[in-house]
Amino acid sequence: MHQNGFTDDHLDMLRELMNIAMGNATASIADLLEAFGKMHIPQIMISDMEGLDGYIQQSIPKDQRNYVTKQLFGGEFSGEFLFVISEESAIHLGHHLYDVDQPSDGDILDAVIELTNILSATMISRLTEELHTKVQFFVPSTEVVDGNALISQEDIINYHRIIIISTQMEFQHQNINGQIFILTKDGMIGSLKDLIDRKLEELYA
Amino acid sequence: MVTITYPNVLLDALEIGVMIIDETFEVRYWNQWMEINTSVRSSDIIGKNLHAFYPDIDYKVLSRKIRTTLRLQSPTFYDASLQNRFIEIPRTKITTSLLKYMQLQVTISPYDVEENLVMVSIYDISDLHELKLTLQSQMEKISELNSELHRDKMIIDANLLIIKIDSECRIVEATQAFLEFFGYQSENVVGSKLAEVFGDASVDFDTVQICDAIASQKKWSGEVKARLHDEEQVWFDAVVTPFNEENDAFCYTVIFNDISDKKRIELLSITDPLTKLYNRHKFNEVFENMVQRRHWDENHTFGLIIADVDYFKRVNDTYGHQIGDKVLIEVAHAFSETIRIGDILARWGGEEFVCLLPAVDKAKALYVAEKLRLAVEQLDIQNVGKVTASFGVTIFTAGDTQESMMHRADSSLYRAKENGRNRIECL
Repeated sequence: MHQNGFTDDHLDMLRELMNIAMGNATASIADLLEAFGKMHIPQIMISDMEGLDGYIQQSIPKDQRNYVTKQLFGGEFSGEFLFVISEESAIHLGHHLYDVDQPSDGDILDAVIELTNILSATMISRLTEELHTKVQFFVPSTEVVDGNALISQEDIINYHRIIIISTQMEFQHQNINGQIFILTKDGMIGSLKDLIDRKLEELYA
Repeated sequence: MVTITYPNVLLDALEIGVMIIDETFEVRYWNQWMEINTSVRSSDIIGKNLHAFYPDIDYKVLSRKIRTTLRLQSPTFYDASLQNRFIEIPRTKITTSLLKYMQLQVTISPYDVEENLVMVSIYDISDLHELKLTLQSQMEKISELNSELHRDKMIIDANLLIIKIDSECRIVEATQAFLEFFGYQSENVVGSKLAEVFGDASVDFDTVQICDAIASQKKWSGEVKARLHDEEQVWFDAVVTPFNEENDAFCYTVIFNDISDKKRIELLSITDPLTKLYNRHKFNEVFENMVQRRHWDENHTFGLIIADVDYFKRVNDTYGHQIGDKVLIEVAHAFSETIRIGDILARWGGEEFVCLLPAVDKAKALYVAEKLRLAVEQLDIQNVGKVTASFGVTIFTAGDTQESMMHRADSSLYRAKENGRNRIECL
């Protein structure tokens, strides 16, 4: 038995739903951005802020400059969608979407936002659709961060229980790699559990 | 649930721009905010292509965003952090001029998927953006100031002798220059009491004045002297300044300014180069001060001795000036070793020496003079042998001036010479 009432069954179901959502995202990107890629099997874990920081440090090289896009989503299942892409990949993305040799800073930022839009809309929308609930997306913001310190020291000491859903996205042909984190915390974990319970009932009733 | 009968009224009342366009960019709706802020009337633009009014938009990107919105049935966004990537709307704000055009946050939402229509919402986030720019500019200034501060700190650390001490006279911090000057390692100094650090055999430093200033919690400045490992004597102008730490603890900075060179020059200006005693100029200065002090009376007075080496001309004539100088040096050394602490001894000129004796009566003055006479008499100078000196002594009395005292002491000396030399006379 995990904390917040999450069991292995809940985690398995969430992993299954994420697989569907990720398939959806890959197809949408292929369709809309003409980029064919794959997404790794999602990692799902329950942790705290310190654990999240450690996991991010482990997943993202510390010696690279990253475009970090954060987008909040609200509803019965709400949280934060985090997309991290290295500067090199972001430039390749800008080059691919804007069809210019040297994309401007604005081109790159917009391209990153565009990809984040598709990723968040497909993955979260599909996930919430499967869970029969609605979601609203808020305006994303992107910042360029040196290294992998994405969480401030002040926030690390905050006590939050967090569900971390993470996966890696790869578009080999375009040389684009990114890391996706879907984070939800505290009360929302219970809310997500209730939604999954309903889904389980629906499937096994 | 209320049915919104007049959606146009609702959309016109919003403080955001709203337009509805299709996949070919034909404008289907243009709200009042758009009319007012773009100066394009809805009647002029509805049914027309957006491209005709705004040719600079990247329509390839817009097309992709519209397609994403319609396919995913989810909003897409333009990046709002850099320059405008959609349409340019002039800004009317006069009191600030950071932005000529509105900074826009543009959201493209599905409106009618079957009809391929999207709603473009435009939020004016100029004030927020201006604030961000101002903040960025301030942060850059702070960063610059921090760099300057760091640079200044490095300069101070490398060049100025400064320590920070707590109210118990314990060293909290020391600059690199301080550590290097005294030959200490930081770990041997930080955490130790000032007196302990300077009390060791390596550096002889009188810390009493500094610790006294700290005990009284007041600002203090003064000269302090230290003798380094190599016996070199150094002088500092020390300034003790109290200040409150962030945690309200009382601390002090002590800034040491090495004034040894100044001191050496000062010393040269008051020293007789041959005998290293005070020169006539310094003596006169001290003499004048003593005469002008008002509190002298019969019980508290001071004396003056003039000494003259007997037959000194003969020494010079017989053995030469070099030997003569040597005699003067030996006599001066004998006098220095004999006088009391606080007595002021100087070379008056030639073979004459003067000595001020604070807080003596006639008997004590004669006693000191006798000791001086004996000290000279006992000398056995190489090549010369024995030498003697004659002494004139006088005591300050009410109404005396420098001249009157010098005159009496001189007369006494004359009498000592007249009466056979190697003796003392007092008037």
